Amino acid sequence: MAGDNGNEELRIGVYVCHCGSNIAGVIDPKVVAEYAAALPGVVRAINTPYACADSGQNLIKEDIKEYNLNRVVVAACSVRMHEPTFRAAVSEAGLNPFLMEMANIREQCTWAHGHDPEGALEKAKDLVAAAVAKARFLVPLQMIKVPVTKRAMVIGGGVAGISAALDLGDQGIETILVEKQPTIGGTMAQLNKTFPTMDCSI
Amino acid sequence: MVDAARHPKVDVRTYTEVERVEGYVGNFKVLLREKSRYVRTDRCNGCGECAKVCPIEVPNYFELNLAPRKAIDVAMSQSVPLIYNIDLDACIHCYKCVEACGKLEAIDFSIEDKLVWEDIGAIVVATGFSHFDPSVMPEYGYGRYPNVITAMEMERLNNSAGPTAGNLIRPSDGTNPKRLAIINCVGSRDKRFNPWCSNFCCMYAIKNAILVKQAYPDMDVTIYYMDIRTPSKGYEEFYDRAREMGIHFIQGRPSLITEDPETHNLFVHSEDVALGHVIEREYDMVMLNQAAVPQPDVDTVSSVLNITQSPGGWFMEYHPKLRPMDSPTDGVFLAGACQGQKDIPASVAQGSAAAARAGRVLHADEWEIEPVVAVVWEDRCVSAKGKKCGLCAKACPYNAIEYEQGKAAHVVTAKCHGCGGCVAECPHNAITQMHFTDAQILAQIHALLAEKPEEKILAFRCHWCSYGGADLAGVSHFEYSSNERGLRVMCSARMDADFIYEAFRLGAGAVLYSGCHPQDCHYITGQRVGASRAERLLKAFEKMEMTPGRFRVEWISAAEGDKYARVINEMQAVLDSIPKEKLMEEIERLRPEMERRARRLREVPQVEEALGYSRQLEAAMVGKEA
Repeated sequence: MAGDNGNEELRIGVYVCHCGSNIAGVIDPKVVAEYAAALPGVVRAINTPYACADSGQNLIKEDIKEYNLNRVVVAACSVRMHEPTFRAAVSEAGLNPFLMEMANIREQCTWAHGHDPEGALEKAKDLVAAAVAKARFLVPLQMIKVPVTKRAMVIGGGVAGISAALDLGDQGIETILVEKQPTIGGTMAQLNKTFPTMDCSI
Repeated sequence: MVDAARHPKVDVRTYTEVERVEGYVGNFKVLLREKSRYVRTDRCNGCGECAKVCPIEVPNYFELNLAPRKAIDVAMSQSVPLIYNIDLDACIHCYKCVEACGKLEAIDFSIEDKLVWEDIGAIVVATGFSHFDPSVMPEYGYGRYPNVITAMEMERLNNSAGPTAGNLIRPSDGTNPKRLAIINCVGSRDKRFNPWCSNFCCMYAIKNAILVKQAYPDMDVTIYYMDIRTPSKGYEEFYDRAREMGIHFIQGRPSLITEDPETHNLFVHSEDVALGHVIEREYDMVMLNQAAVPQPDVDTVSSVLNITQSPGGWFMEYHPKLRPMDSPTDGVFLAGACQGQKDIPASVAQGSAAAARAGRVLHADEWEIEPVVAVVWEDRCVSAKGKKCGLCAKACPYNAIEYEQGKAAHVVTAKCHGCGGCVAECPHNAITQMHFTDAQILAQIHALLAEKPEEKILAFRCHWCSYGGADLAGVSHFEYSSNERGLRVMCSARMDADFIYEAFRLGAGAVLYSGCHPQDCHYITGQRVGASRAERLLKAFEKMEMTPGRFRVEWISAAEGDKYARVINEMQAVLDSIPKEKLMEEIERLRPEMERRARRLREVPQVEEALGYSRQLEAAMVGKEA
């Protein structure tokens, strides 16, 4: 695979999301896709109304097979939003999830430059080119599996902490409830009757 | 409370503090300090004979110092657990308590604090909130006028378990007040103190008014408010009930309280929006409804648990809509008011929700973590050639690197959290970070600066904070210069000096080096590694006489979208202020030095390949433009 041992031909697919009018209301995703199509290693570049919707994900999955893609770039929203979505999508199509790279052209482009569509377009092209550049050097990675100690700790013995500790206990999980004061109860234990039941707070 | 103590799966550890948290999701190690009560928990039966004979009285935190407690006492009669503890600072060692305890022999002055390590799979943080101290508002006279009390003091005074057994009396003379004013938004929605609405105080004011009115039907009870906010189920109906009971509501924020020094009665000066003029009314007692504020030790808890803060000091959730119970640290969850001001039903709900989220981890046989770990190229490590180094181990916040002179450094994968600090610190480029390799980042830098680099502001951001800040700027539609070109790494510790030199070598107009605030760092001390490097870079560029502001270092949290936008716009202003020719001259003047400094990068595996690819890419990018 390219970037791995350099033997395999680089085949990058680029998907430029409209996100309804969130992106397409400021820039033309088609122009960005056409721009991406000319970048080295890109064999498929297309705009899609909602990349995260089933239709968008299916497009990516089908293309991975049809175009034999070995890298995917999704130009859409923040990685904090949909990176897991697209990693899962490429994974379902048989591609290692770490061979997918995102370009954030919504939060960090069209939403931040709504009054500067020309500047936003130039920036979106550069962000896509940078994602393609990084994609070129991505390598397949495996998630690291770690064991899980089946014990919980709740820090703070107020009403939220007590509620969490009881629920964890009821799930059968051994739980340590830590409270810095000499008694649990927190602020609520100091209160007189409480709304809406107007009963004792303890 | 009692249910928690009785639950066979719940181990309640009171008078205990969390000192340290190490490890990662599924595999935390938590160091607890079980503070000494000087009373043996296995022997004390809560009879209270000791407190009866104790001659020393100390302020009682639980009663907000409205009543004393003994030097050996419990917070309240329903304490869980019902075990006495000694305030050793106040104790005079008369040992009367020991005598009173008799054969139980529960009192033991030799007990010391106990430090215990616990293995834990998931943590729920529910450290709660605190109350605004209104004594900083001189206009309300709290602390000077005895009959001005806080809401929490009202809770104790009007409480059958409180120091007056529920008899609501004036602190000045012990009589029952006939006229009570309740003032809302004290320290809330006040830009001098806290901008936020404290969420529960409207309902809280109404609740207290109703309770007082029920106990003293003839009392004149008036609530001064800015807006009454009763949005949840049954809340508005509760408000209606208060009105029907004859509780007065005046829309207006009191500007001043004065006191008659003889009677200690109070005069509340306020606007009455309904009447459209200023009023002054006399009361026997005033209750200030304090703002909810974060706990005073929030910074300590933040750094021990690696939790970022929202503005004001509330703990920050991973995502405000999609993952409100998750902290940014995998395996650490948030519940209750530590995450933001909220009332009891919401706190209980979030407690259950956090337990469900934690259950996902705790019921799994194994948990997956991202493989963005560091890996050593053993043949490049100078330690393997017998040289003394160990800079990588020094930069690691997790002691994940085993270093021994004569052997190549070794990264213990399970301990590595993937900040990338060691990678950037290694002077021989002998370590790489998976998914954030030098070649990958270099290829991005070249692409982002392919065209008109002198106009660009290359912004390095850390994943957890400043990238989130940039996201929030967009979400909030805070516009900033579109010349910004962002590049994400996991931590500012990964922002290799070579990347900055390379960016300037390529002719970048400006470079932003941004990460989290020190107390917010997702990688304990990663930010400090990044910050000290940034300081060195600032000094180096100053020596080179680079125009100040072309290289900027800023710490921006995920909650500071406004700051991100402002910083970028200020950097744009710096670029705009330099005449183009002068800027180009400066870029050319500095290029050889930047080239010299960035040359080590060329030795990194794959970098030459990255540069080759970048040339193709740049040609395609520029070609498309032309």
